[in-house]
Amino acid sequence: MAVTTSGRPPGRLARTRSRLTTTQVLGVPLVWIVAGFNILTGLWLLLSSLKSADEIFSSPWHLPGALHWDNYSRAWSEGNFGVAAVNTVVVVGGTAVITLVFAAPAAYVLSRVTTRFNGGFVLFFALGLGIPAQVVMLPLFVVMNKLLLVDSLFGLIVVYVATSLPFAVFFLTGFFSTLPVELEEAAALDGASAFRTFWQVMLPLARGGLVTVLILNVIQHWGETVFALVFIQNTDHQTLSLALLGFLQQMQYNGADWGGLFAGVAVVVLPVLACYVWLGRRIIEGMTVGSVK
Amino acid sequence: MTPAGTTATATTDTGTASTDTEGRGATSDGGTSTGAAAPAATGKGRPGKKPSEARPSPLAVRRRKLFWPLLAPAVLVYVVFFAGPSLYTVWLSFNKWGGAGPMSFVGIDNYRRLFDDPTFQQSFANTLWIILGVGGLTFLVSFGLTMVLRDMKGRKAARSILFFPNIVPSVVLSILWGFLFQHDGLADALVGALGMEHPPNWLGQSNIFRVIMVGLVWTSTGFYTTILMAAVDQIPPELYEDCELAGANALQKFRHVTLPLMWEVVGVCAVLWTISAVKVFEFIYAFAGAAGQMPDAGVWNTALYTYGEAFASGGVPRYGSAAASAVVMVTLVGVLVVLIRRVMRRDTVQF
Repeated sequence: MAVTTSGRPPGRLARTRSRLTTTQVLGVPLVWIVAGFNILTGLWLLLSSLKSADEIFSSPWHLPGALHWDNYSRAWSEGNFGVAAVNTVVVVGGTAVITLVFAAPAAYVLSRVTTRFNGGFVLFFALGLGIPAQVVMLPLFVVMNKLLLVDSLFGLIVVYVATSLPFAVFFLTGFFSTLPVELEEAAALDGASAFRTFWQVMLPLARGGLVTVLILNVIQHWGETVFALVFIQNTDHQTLSLALLGFLQQMQYNGADWGGLFAGVAVVVLPVLACYVWLGRRIIEGMTVGSVK
Repeated sequence: MTPAGTTATATTDTGTASTDTEGRGATSDGGTSTGAAAPAATGKGRPGKKPSEARPSPLAVRRRKLFWPLLAPAVLVYVVFFAGPSLYTVWLSFNKWGGAGPMSFVGIDNYRRLFDDPTFQQSFANTLWIILGVGGLTFLVSFGLTMVLRDMKGRKAARSILFFPNIVPSVVLSILWGFLFQHDGLADALVGALGMEHPPNWLGQSNIFRVIMVGLVWTSTGFYTTILMAAVDQIPPELYEDCELAGANALQKFRHVTLPLMWEVVGVCAVLWTISAVKVFEFIYAFAGAAGQMPDAGVWNTALYTYGEAFASGGVPRYGSAAASAVVMVTLVGVLVVLIRRVMRRDTVQF
């Protein structure tokens, strides 16, 4: 069709097409090589977690000769991954839920009740997105020390919640403002109080946004390291990322237990992978939100 | 209910976000600007109504009472555990303090000492290397991938795979990346297969930071590719068809169609990258500091320097200079963001 309207000799367009495919002939395999690198690294990690340390180096490309499940049991007990996994689940779950408890009401009023402070508050929260952990951690450490919240899981949750608020408020303010006003008005006409309208009408409506914030929050804190390093001191309270670092440290003294290390890494990665396979599209969209209009 | 599309109106650009909320709120406004708000609320079904009849709806009045009770808890937590400490860091940076006992005001001494300290100079240079070097390479690769992915089979699958490292904890990525470059490791095997007899000493002092930088490119590319792809998807395909008719090659299409139309998104990406590049910590810490101690000072960036001064200096923690270093970090972000916005400012092409 294009050929007839352009009135050019047909050969020309055909040539353009074929040249296009040449760039793709080069490009497409390259994309798959990069993607393949990610997949192979993952697969190779899982296989290595079932190999003995010698095997990992002597035959890195082969399937494990025998399945060394003992890597996992060693990591779980000696590497403290068992304790750390429980701690991490508590901290990450607690953080995500408490963040929502604080952020959702704030975001709701910021998007719905207009006062002259709105713009200022939205900006105030958004500024937190650009503040690195290093800027907060010194005075925060002093404050937490005074409150006896250093080296406690609850203290870590408090820190995580405070630092999660900027994104959660920012994201949810945007989300609430896309919801229709009519339902609220209907609820008000039916005699629902303003709080009840928020609680029973708007929150269920915003479920999608709330769940997205929840998931992103969990993923973000699953392997968080900076604050954990600063605020957790005791092995009993450590999270998974600290357990990994501790395992690396132990290897310096007890010899390279790469099998155990990779088992530990797998313990950290597999839940993330499962989550990603299950909710991938939502995670990607949530994380890139706002970048593209 | 896909958030990417719908909530996108409240962009990362905070200015837009606030005006958006105000615009929304106006349809059912409380009491501040009743005159302007009412027509929007009541005018829909009954065009005859006059603005003078405007009164805040009972809903709006009642909702207004919720403003502070619902907002205050979040603001309180945010101020006490985040915003307050951040501001206090600025004050701390003008003082000398060991974490206990009295502070003594020393003016800009901490900053002066900081910029005289070769370790900090190195850290600062490394931070710039990460922002500019890793950033440049990441964008180049992301653009390349985006161009190929634009009309490729299996693009969704490829995108998902490329994005995945972005949600894996940095510590894990760092350990994996480090393992690839172990002596007799996979990188050596690969280089050997290509015929190099003596593989470079990847983790030696001269190479280790470069290896780290390439690793950072690996972990961040997927994120930016995803954003750029979303922008490219919004470009009408007719434009490309026109180009093809005009006989433009891939590069010309990129320069004259793709780039101008996603200029704004590129600017947003640059801001996002600057912010996250300054925050890079775990990847370096776990990569080079396998002994559970601080890595060699040659690979520090300002984030590691700050941490080192405050928590790992062995003797008395130097909170003052750590705070100063943190302030330098956030200033760097601020300056670069302003600069990026100024450089990238350009009339957005409507399409």
